[in-house]
Amino acid sequence: MKYAPAILVGRLTRIAARLRKPGGGSAVPGLVVNTIAPGYLRTTLSGFPQGLVVVSGSSGKSTTTKMLVSILRAHGERVFTNPSTANISQGLTSALLEQADWRGRVPGDVAVLEMDEGHGARVMEGVDARVVTLTNVMVDQIDRFHDSEMVAGMLGRIAARAHGAVVVNADDGYLARLAADVADGVEVRRFGVSAEVLATAPRGLGHTETTPERLDRGDGIVVASVDGASAVLADGATDVAVGLPARGIHYAVDAAAAYATASAVLGERFDAELAARALSSIPAVFGRGERVTVRGQEVDFVLVQNPASYQLNVDSIPSGTEQVLFAIGSDVRDPSYFWPTDASSLGRVAVVSGSKADEAALMLAYDGVEIDRVEHDLGRALDDFLAAPPPTAGVKTIVFSADAMRRTRAHLGLTGAE
Amino acid sequence: MSLTIVSLLPSLQNTNGDAENAAVLAARARWAGLDARVVAVESAADLPERVDAVVLGSGSDASLDRSRAALLGMHHELRRWGTEGVPILAVGTGWELLGWGIELADGGTIEGLGLVAGRAVPRDGRVAGDLVVNASGGLGLLVGFENHARDYVGAEGSPIGRVQAGSGNGRGSGQEGVRMGDVLGTHLHGPVLAKNPRLADAILARMCERAGLDYVPGERTAVVDGYAEAARAAQLRAAGVAASATA
Repeated sequence: MKYAPAILVGRLTRIAARLRKPGGGSAVPGLVVNTIAPGYLRTTLSGFPQGLVVVSGSSGKSTTTKMLVSILRAHGERVFTNPSTANISQGLTSALLEQADWRGRVPGDVAVLEMDEGHGARVMEGVDARVVTLTNVMVDQIDRFHDSEMVAGMLGRIAARAHGAVVVNADDGYLARLAADVADGVEVRRFGVSAEVLATAPRGLGHTETTPERLDRGDGIVVASVDGASAVLADGATDVAVGLPARGIHYAVDAAAAYATASAVLGERFDAELAARALSSIPAVFGRGERVTVRGQEVDFVLVQNPASYQLNVDSIPSGTEQVLFAIGSDVRDPSYFWPTDASSLGRVAVVSGSKADEAALMLAYDGVEIDRVEHDLGRALDDFLAAPPPTAGVKTIVFSADAMRRTRAHLGLTGAE
Repeated sequence: MSLTIVSLLPSLQNTNGDAENAAVLAARARWAGLDARVVAVESAADLPERVDAVVLGSGSDASLDRSRAALLGMHHELRRWGTEGVPILAVGTGWELLGWGIELADGGTIEGLGLVAGRAVPRDGRVAGDLVVNASGGLGLLVGFENHARDYVGAEGSPIGRVQAGSGNGRGSGQEGVRMGDVLGTHLHGPVLAKNPRLADAILARMCERAGLDYVPGERTAVVDGYAEAARAAQLRAAGVAASATA
């Protein structure tokens, strides 16, 4: 009963926000409720019977969260989860309000939350998690975090809220140290890639620091092999074949993280076969190596969010791909940290666009990439790129940052799961 | 005759892509029809016989001690380069380590190598954003980004130039960087030489002069500098600085 008035106000705010911006989600109701009922978020997050599971890290948390939710639901669990765009406190409260009854109670056995690595430590103050899963520490958004020590420190504070288990990427040097420091009685579970898989990524996996040793089969969930959009996870003596939402080692690592976490949450009830089926049924994620038919043409969409995903995704574009559109938007405030990457394999880019088009063109040019055209207007760039005759080799490929992706989707009228 | 550009401690000192400035110099040299290579140097053992320019980027505070130890192992070479006029570009913590020392926020200090004047002192909060500098010596407006939690004092008599936007050395100096002969220290991180072709060409001209080569920027350089010019104009607009405000 305690939160009924605040919930009512939050609901009314949501209706008002919807009237103003039809169809749009909004963090405003969450902001309002957090202000008038500051304990609501904490109380509700702590109130799920099977506890709270938190996924955080520099990258891969969105995909890992989706995979984990899918595995848990396949086991019959009722799961509350947040959309990936609502991973800071106002957004989280708004997401809870979407599901809450009039007293503010949210149905579900277990909550699985993707947590922003910067805001998570504060959101988690006073909240206990059963399991905390950490994906990796990458040099990411340099103007926000400055350096990896800071990211690792924030993830350490999130991990300190776990009372059941901490699940970490064993290939990440920062997380390996963090796992050595967990409190007594908190279990540590690990996932990682085999030496064979690491050998197929000549530039590594993008961690700020990669551990020298690979995880032994039996000491955690090991990505034994990756072949395009399928992978084999080694769980002790069992080999589990899974399909991935797109090709790429990082998706296999996300699958291993989700698998290890689900096993920690479900304990004896965990069923490897159910987990494999759930993982394989995850739909392709927009902009993550997905092929879409747009205006009668096949187009590959490639999202770059940080230097690591930039390098992995650019490397995965088949050589000889003739037509590439490259768009970097205002989400990349300072592109400096992308400079250590190498896009020379692209050879030639047809159009460079987005609000950071000139910065992007400069960087590509120093990688030795030929640029046919810089077009600041992304809409015009997309129209002209798609209107051009289909390539004789490869598929038209659009590489974009998150902001340019949103604008691209809006311009092309593409909807779908994010 | 091949130009050799040393990238110093790239594994520890490349947080913001500053070490890529070595590749920028090499690319521009090649576009001018010259031979050039970048040599990554993590310790004295990696040092090539001939060094035409040195780039030292910025790292995290956690690696300050390790980087200092590595630089101390090359103090003789650093002193020689500094005296002989080998251009050295040092960015962020790399620059701080070449100064007199670093005062940390927790009261500790890290001694510098004393190659250039001045020392880094804690500032009230981190500064991150655009940095525009009106540089002396015909270098024009330097445009880039800064991100640091320390000010720099003691370089008042030898700065790179005056701050037009951003913080720079701070402490009310209105100045940015340090320039002593051909040694440059700056808060401008990332691809500062790509973004500021005049500075890059001044360094290349100096390298070539020492090596007895002619430096004439190539055709490709003009095309690429067109992208730099557009990126500079956009950033100057964002920072509210008129592009005509040159030295």
